[in-house]
Amino acid sequence: MRRGRAPLLVALAVATLAVWPWVAPRYFVFLASVILVNVIVAIGLNMMAGYTNQLSFGHAGFLAIGAYTAAVLTLRVPGVPVVVTLIVAGLFTAAVGLAFGIPCLRLGGLYLTMATLAFGFVVTEAILNLDMLTRGADGLRVPTARLAGLTLSTDTARYYLVAAVAAVMVAAAVNLVRTRTGRAFLALRESEIAAQASGVPVATYRALAFGLSAFYTGVAGGLFAFVVGFLSPDAFDVFLSVDFVVMIIVGGLGSVPGSIIGAAVVTLLHDGLATFQNYRPLIFGALLIACMLFMPGGVMRALSRVARR
Amino acid sequence: MRYVASLAGLVLALAAVLPVAAQQGVSDTEIVIGCSNSFSGPLAYTGEQATRFGVDLYFKVVNDAGGINGRKVRTVYYDDGYKPQEAVANTRKLVEQDRIFAVIAPQGTPPVMATLEYLEENRVPLLFPFQGSPVIRGKKHVFSGMTLYDRQSRMMVDYLVTQRKLKSFGVLYQDDDYGKSFLTAFEKDLGRHNLKLTATESVKRGVTDVSAQIAKLRAAAPQAVFLVLTPGPGAQALKERQKIGWTDTVMVSSGPLTDEKYLGLAGDAAEGVEGLSLWPDPLASELPGMKAYRSAMQKYFSGNEPNRYSLSGYFAAMLFTEGARRAGKNLTRESLITALEGISGFQSGILPPVTIGPDHETQRQGFWVRVEKGRFKQMTDWLKSE
Repeated sequence: MRRGRAPLLVALAVATLAVWPWVAPRYFVFLASVILVNVIVAIGLNMMAGYTNQLSFGHAGFLAIGAYTAAVLTLRVPGVPVVVTLIVAGLFTAAVGLAFGIPCLRLGGLYLTMATLAFGFVVTEAILNLDMLTRGADGLRVPTARLAGLTLSTDTARYYLVAAVAAVMVAAAVNLVRTRTGRAFLALRESEIAAQASGVPVATYRALAFGLSAFYTGVAGGLFAFVVGFLSPDAFDVFLSVDFVVMIIVGGLGSVPGSIIGAAVVTLLHDGLATFQNYRPLIFGALLIACMLFMPGGVMRALSRVARR
Repeated sequence: MRYVASLAGLVLALAAVLPVAAQQGVSDTEIVIGCSNSFSGPLAYTGEQATRFGVDLYFKVVNDAGGINGRKVRTVYYDDGYKPQEAVANTRKLVEQDRIFAVIAPQGTPPVMATLEYLEENRVPLLFPFQGSPVIRGKKHVFSGMTLYDRQSRMMVDYLVTQRKLKSFGVLYQDDDYGKSFLTAFEKDLGRHNLKLTATESVKRGVTDVSAQIAKLRAAAPQAVFLVLTPGPGAQALKERQKIGWTDTVMVSSGPLTDEKYLGLAGDAAEGVEGLSLWPDPLASELPGMKAYRSAMQKYFSGNEPNRYSLSGYFAAMLFTEGARRAGKNLTRESLITALEGISGFQSGILPPVTIGPDHETQRQGFWVRVEKGRFKQMTDWLKSE
């Protein structure tokens, strides 16, 4: 991709997002909302996995925290603007992420992954046991989101909310690499030892990546709650976390466009396989292995290799 | 490229607009219905039996006999694995993409609750969901599919108090909507007889060790203990009771728990347990409808053993067929609802005569059983819950 084309692509993407509800059948408006929620999660996960090499199998847990925070807040404080709800959901999830992430700094590689796996289960148990707030196994109906006097009760309204938030989150992620933090992340990605040698405080930035990743996933969780409209602990099982990992592996580690492509591919595949979920883990597992063997770096690296030829 | 895109857009727009004229999901030759259900996850067996071996079984019989008013019934199912977000996506896909006429026999309180509002809003009938929470009562487009929990409680309490003359009751319940619906209903029904629950113990969902609860219930020594659990913990409670040699209390299982799977898990610890059965014995009942059910199963799915779940789906399809037949050639969602509401004294040969009426409750019955030599033995005729 030459640099000159980027603004054109962005304009095209924004235009497509804007007109989508007017040209697509209703179901695909809903599906697009789900894809965009997953895009935000994938970008968040990629900040940890792509930049600081910390792979998490517990992001369904962060999604759950964001979703339940948004739902409970909207229930307890009726009329709170959805933007506030989403920010609170993100910040609370980030706080949990930091509280969990800081002690995990001592862990590396496989051990960290195992800790995140356990985190996912802990969250599900917590939802079941905090039934005063979460209604436990029965599930929680999410009230309609409100924004400046409007109730976002139609598919189109919810879609625009998700699309706007996703656009902001994507833009922030793209611009992150231009900041001091972003450059530190890139340095970490290339080599932790080299980064440390050049004065990057590795521990701080690893924790920061954890918190930022949780923030993204928490905001996505809030959107998830409004798009789906009903939450129960069954929703956030380990397979959902695996789906997120598949998204970034397929799309490309450490790449924002890769996260977007990965999220879209996996969500559409997931939707296409609605008849036989039992085969889903098998198919996604095979996809994961195939990607690692034949397409390391995911779709993005493969694309850039093709472009270079 | 732009030409193709705009053409595609036009076609899609037309597809979205055109079928509004006729009733969605009904053509001259076909009726399309379906549901999102568990084909994976904790309730996969139940889901698969109720749909592919239950609903589909009856429709095979109907279709081979010429269909409903000349229309064959086709079913579409998607798997939600008991996850509400999948149930929402699947149900939307069924309504908006597959353009189904009605939802039939979905399963489980969270997945059904997750889709309830959407279906009401879009006026899609939600027929006979396999769950008993009274929350679904009084909705215009919803017809219940199981004797609701408060009715089950009334039958159980009235029978035990008036016919068996029992006076003290304990309950071991699952700490969720299912358990709590029963708990509040027990309290209310016992209140009518000026009685109270003497001991209540709860089990969190997914927990299998219930020894502490059993010990506490034994210490309270009620004459009967209601078990409002799922098969795993239910069987565990019975085994625990056997282990500590607690025999002087009648263990009573709720309607959803009274099935063969739970007996199998408990083994000989289930001997002497009593309970409310919502369905006739799928293997042994000599009722005419039950014989027809077994011979259909033999004919179409000879490898599949008859069971309560497939029977419940079979019955749901039977009720749908009766409603659609009464609605006549001009089958719409409205005419189906009116027709179902008009069903009165319908002889299914499986349950006592079914009368639906404006409250949309299709089932209100159960009978008393006791486990003898590993089988349910019928102790009473159909009990009333009015």
